[in-house]
Amino acid sequence: MNDPSTADLYHGEIANLEDLIDRESLREVCRSFFDLFGLSIRVFSARGALLANVHEERSICRYVNSLPDGRVACAQTVGQVQVIVPNAKEGTVVHPCFTGAIYHVVPIVYDDRQLGRIVLGPFLPAEIKEPPESLLRVDSKIEKERASLALRDMPRVRKETAERIAAHLRGVLDLILFSGHRAHLTSAMHLATVRESYRELAEKNARLQDAFDKLKELDRLKSNFLATVSHELRTPLTSIIGYSEMLQAGIAGDLSEEQSSFVETIRSKGELLLSLISSLLDLNKLERGQLSVELEQVDPRAVLAEVKETYVPEAEKKKIRIDVQCDDTVPYLQADPVRLRQILMNLAGNAVKFTQAEGTVVLRAVLTEIAPRSEDDDDDGVGAALLMTPEPAIEFSVRDTGIGIAGDQLEKIFDAFYQVDGGSTREYGGAGLGLAIAKSLTEAHHGIIRVESRLGIGTTFAVTIPQMPPDPE
Amino acid sequence: MQLDFQSRELTVKLVYYGPALSGKTTNLQAIHRLLLTEGRGRLMTLETRDDRTLFFDLLPLSFSTASGLTVRIKLFTVPGQVIHNSTRKLVLQGADGVAFIADSQTHEIRANQASFKDLRRNLRENGIDPSKMPLVIQYNKRDLPNIRSEEDIKRMAAMGKEPTFMATATHGNGVLETFLGLVNETWSHLEKEHALKERFGLEASDVVNDLRTRFGAPAKPAGS
Repeated sequence: MNDPSTADLYHGEIANLEDLIDRESLREVCRSFFDLFGLSIRVFSARGALLANVHEERSICRYVNSLPDGRVACAQTVGQVQVIVPNAKEGTVVHPCFTGAIYHVVPIVYDDRQLGRIVLGPFLPAEIKEPPESLLRVDSKIEKERASLALRDMPRVRKETAERIAAHLRGVLDLILFSGHRAHLTSAMHLATVRESYRELAEKNARLQDAFDKLKELDRLKSNFLATVSHELRTPLTSIIGYSEMLQAGIAGDLSEEQSSFVETIRSKGELLLSLISSLLDLNKLERGQLSVELEQVDPRAVLAEVKETYVPEAEKKKIRIDVQCDDTVPYLQADPVRLRQILMNLAGNAVKFTQAEGTVVLRAVLTEIAPRSEDDDDDGVGAALLMTPEPAIEFSVRDTGIGIAGDQLEKIFDAFYQVDGGSTREYGGAGLGLAIAKSLTEAHHGIIRVESRLGIGTTFAVTIPQMPPDPE
Repeated sequence: MQLDFQSRELTVKLVYYGPALSGKTTNLQAIHRLLLTEGRGRLMTLETRDDRTLFFDLLPLSFSTASGLTVRIKLFTVPGQVIHNSTRKLVLQGADGVAFIADSQTHEIRANQASFKDLRRNLRENGIDPSKMPLVIQYNKRDLPNIRSEEDIKRMAAMGKEPTFMATATHGNGVLETFLGLVNETWSHLEKEHALKERFGLEASDVVNDLRTRFGAPAKPAGS
């Protein structure tokens, strides 16, 4: 079952006069009627609430109320008038007062519903000239002369005129009610519509949240799986590498040159596999936010030299030159040396990998500035003048003269498992994790990583890391 | 339907549904214009600046029958524009019958179909089986060029069970027939569910004839 108000809304009904009219406006309307016709007007709702009351105390009323019995009789009459509920079908009820005056009680009917009543009066019917007997008998102390005099300022209205005035007032009220009804329905419907839209959205949100939770759970399972598998792979691999090394060292007897070269292949491929698995584990940790950086003073020259040293053998094999550019003015920085090396190794490894013979790879570090990263995405630059002060930073760059990367690919190269084209995986190897890891590690240092590239000319990766980590907020 | 035994009063809600700009409000305006003064309420329209229905239109009608029962009919229109779906669903709540106002123009075929599917979906979402809802269909705008032919429509209508009417609401043609057809369908349906004849001695044809005279038209047997 619907509650009555909902059912009323469905049928566009209104139940209460109070809901439809503005009391102050109603009072103003009644006041203008009073000013025009001199008739007191009271408007009651169906529940009996007095919504407007415009009247003036007449001399006769004042006189009668000054007498004890008169006061009682007056109160009685007023009480009777107030509880008269005229029937919508029969119309106006005329109620007499002992003073000879009368009240007209007019029903307010709107859309077949009786919403209240108008009480017009008291006023004297035009034909009454003298104070009636009922007035003179109401109190023993009443004086005819005085009563007669007091009765003079009571408005005199003919019955038809009173009816016309009532009809006119009802007509005006009807318009007010219609406007009120319209506004009431509009707002009720508006509210209901908003509620309904909200409900629909909430339902949709719940479904989306549900799907999102499922995906998150799947992602967690994937990460767990990856962690477990990588770990399980690493254990036997370590043994393979270890035993290969022992074989090479001649622990199990001398090896022929050919055997030694086979074992070396097993060992180096094993190392490669191990580093791939480590990347997977790193990425997994980074994704789960489990990887922490251990900050200490790092000499950028030392880091670059180490990176160069690692790749020199491979570069020489490919006839590529590796240059390091870092003068003494470049200061030390606060960073995790292992992770910083890992970032640069990844970039340098790529550079060597994708550069052809006679090419050059330049490893460089310069002092620069970095604007702090906004922690809040939706602050719209509020307080930028305070918060965006650039800080000293070290920019490490790796420039190569390799094959380059097409413009439309540049955005995606930092995504995990992405390689510029499927073909390059086979040609150049790798799991497509290096740049994703480099980016995550850079961000863990509150730094930024950028790339510039031109096809066939070369690529430059630049990693900018603040010299001092920002204060935790 | 709301039945108030104490005051012997029956309130029926009829909803004019249909795609945007198919003439739902125009139907109500025509009914309002055609109806003789007695029992005619004010037509309440809640529209935007560009004359599109924002929430709904409401035309209340009321008349006393010979049996002493007061019948109050509330005619509503829904806003046709797609974005007002929540409002359409709300206006549809508590409806006893639906007149679907279709646009006869051939390029509106899809809009008509989409709106009708929307009606069915909203009825279902309100917990009402669309096949149980008294329904009439009006093909409006018969005066325009590029419209579906009457033979075409009649052939299609013969495949369904709803009474179908042709109308030019702007001229008031077919409006009354649609309305009375809807009252007839609705009353017959309510009669079955609430035994109105037994309780009040009123049949659908009585109500329709009574209404017909209020439009200044001679009474005649009901039917589409």
